[in-house]
Amino acid sequence: MSSVWAIGRRELASMFRTPVGWVVIALFLLLTGAAFSVGLVPGQPASLRDFFAVSAWLLMPVAPAVSMRLFAEEHRTGAIEPLLTAPVSDAGAVAGKYLGAWLFLALMVAPTLLYPAVLWWVADPKPDLGQIGAGYVSLVLQGSLYLAIGTAVSAMTSSQTLAYLATLLPILGLLLVSRGASDSSLGGSGPMPEWARRTLQALSIPARASDFARGIIDTAHIAFFLVAALWCLFAAHAALDSRRWR
Amino acid sequence: MILVREIRKTYGRVHAVRGISFAIEPGEVVGLLGPNGAGKSTTIRILTSYLTPDAGSVEIDGHDTRTDSLEARRRIGYLPESAPLYPEMTPGGYLDYRARLYGLPRPERRRAVGAAMDRCRITDVAGRRIGHLSKGYRQRVGLAAALLHDPPVLVLDEPSNGLDPSQIRETRSLVNELAARRTMVVSSHILPEVERLATRLLVIAAGQIRADGPMAELAGAAAGGGRYVAEVQGDTGEYLRLLRGIAGVRDVRAAPLNGSAWSRVTVETGPGAGDPRPAISGHAARIMLPLRELHEDKPSLEHLFLQLTEGTGTAPEEASPR
Repeated sequence: MSSVWAIGRRELASMFRTPVGWVVIALFLLLTGAAFSVGLVPGQPASLRDFFAVSAWLLMPVAPAVSMRLFAEEHRTGAIEPLLTAPVSDAGAVAGKYLGAWLFLALMVAPTLLYPAVLWWVADPKPDLGQIGAGYVSLVLQGSLYLAIGTAVSAMTSSQTLAYLATLLPILGLLLVSRGASDSSLGGSGPMPEWARRTLQALSIPARASDFARGIIDTAHIAFFLVAALWCLFAAHAALDSRRWR
Repeated sequence: MILVREIRKTYGRVHAVRGISFAIEPGEVVGLLGPNGAGKSTTIRILTSYLTPDAGSVEIDGHDTRTDSLEARRRIGYLPESAPLYPEMTPGGYLDYRARLYGLPRPERRRAVGAAMDRCRITDVAGRRIGHLSKGYRQRVGLAAALLHDPPVLVLDEPSNGLDPSQIRETRSLVNELAARRTMVVSSHILPEVERLATRLLVIAAGQIRADGPMAELAGAAAGGGRYVAEVQGDTGEYLRLLRGIAGVRDVRAAPLNGSAWSRVTVETGPGAGDPRPAISGHAARIMLPLRELHEDKPSLEHLFLQLTEGTGTAPEEASPR
């Protein structure tokens, strides 16, 4: 366990040793801050709906940028060799890397807690804290899943560019699949079978996020994000393990 | 101790390692020698658990690298080729991180990091970024990381690769210091380096062991016997006749040295012959022939290497895989 923490700590610190980490955080806070201020309309009920909507979409380019270097960079430089010959299991290495990326995301989102605090201070009537809490849970769950996808992809390649693009693609798919689910047909080739519509809806992240946005914390939604993230981390572990056999 | 049994590894259609077996006892310093692409790095990566062999097994201090991998890894200090490190970290930070990976508790961690930095003489750059250090310093940081947990087995893959002559010298003296009390495997294709570091050689070519034994034994066996050179003054006729009578002597030749009354006499002995030098000097003294030099003309490692890896000769019997 201490080795997982050591890897996570190193990974987190390395993101702040280069300008990239600071730039990503600054851009995220700038854009979400703009969304927050746009949502402040005199006479209107206080809400963070715009902030959460923008944040969720920003995670799409940000999460792959954070996860792309996790293993790809180590494969490229050869630093993976000292790591995988240390007394750390492959599962421990994956968990440590993921932990580092997750902590970065948490530190990136943490300053935005200022927004509900400001809202609570200036708004009358007071904002719905339950709804805001559900919004943050949704944000963290989405970020966790995206990072897990990125960790798996990064473990499969030594190119950061490829890792970024190959992570972006499935995330985009999960975000856009709801359009397919809400349409009655697929590309005009006839009505969509019920089972296909249901499958697409089950995979749709916006469909689940909209429930969170309404303040509904559904355990089925939480389970979906957690199981999907775990499955991706398992894939990362398998990718790492397969390298020993190649 | 390291015990390797019949390991094999293929990359697609390429057979990188074809059934290698050897045992390395505690305290031995073994030079893994072979041309590029011979299978040295693959063998080392299997020893250090980075790769899993397709067949065969490796034991490090009694721990199988496949079934008890973490314990086996705990007993190895490994310096991979070109010492890959994190350029954005400082040596102090990197060593602290490595000590955490090995689960060293805090007080021991500080002591181990300090001791490794002192030993590898990197204390003066402990706070500088690794990316800003010279290649020699980076190599020493890698060595310090390999030493941190005081492992009984050290595995160094091409430790002098890419270093300038003074850095090579520093690295070599450091490795010599580290060799005391440890089992060490040093892979290299730089012949003088292996010659200076190792007490035993493992010559690998085309994924197989071509020779295994102490340097002197291998060199002598590869040459098929011993070769001795003496320089004497005057008529060598009687002297050569006496030398031919020494037990085990196969051939005796004399060649005059340019512009002097001195001659160089070469004596070759067959395999298994004893040291003829006492007899060579004794005969010169008996017939009152001035003798100014007598030495064994050892075959070079380069000669041995070429013979073993280019198929110009076969591995001698006593140098066959153990």
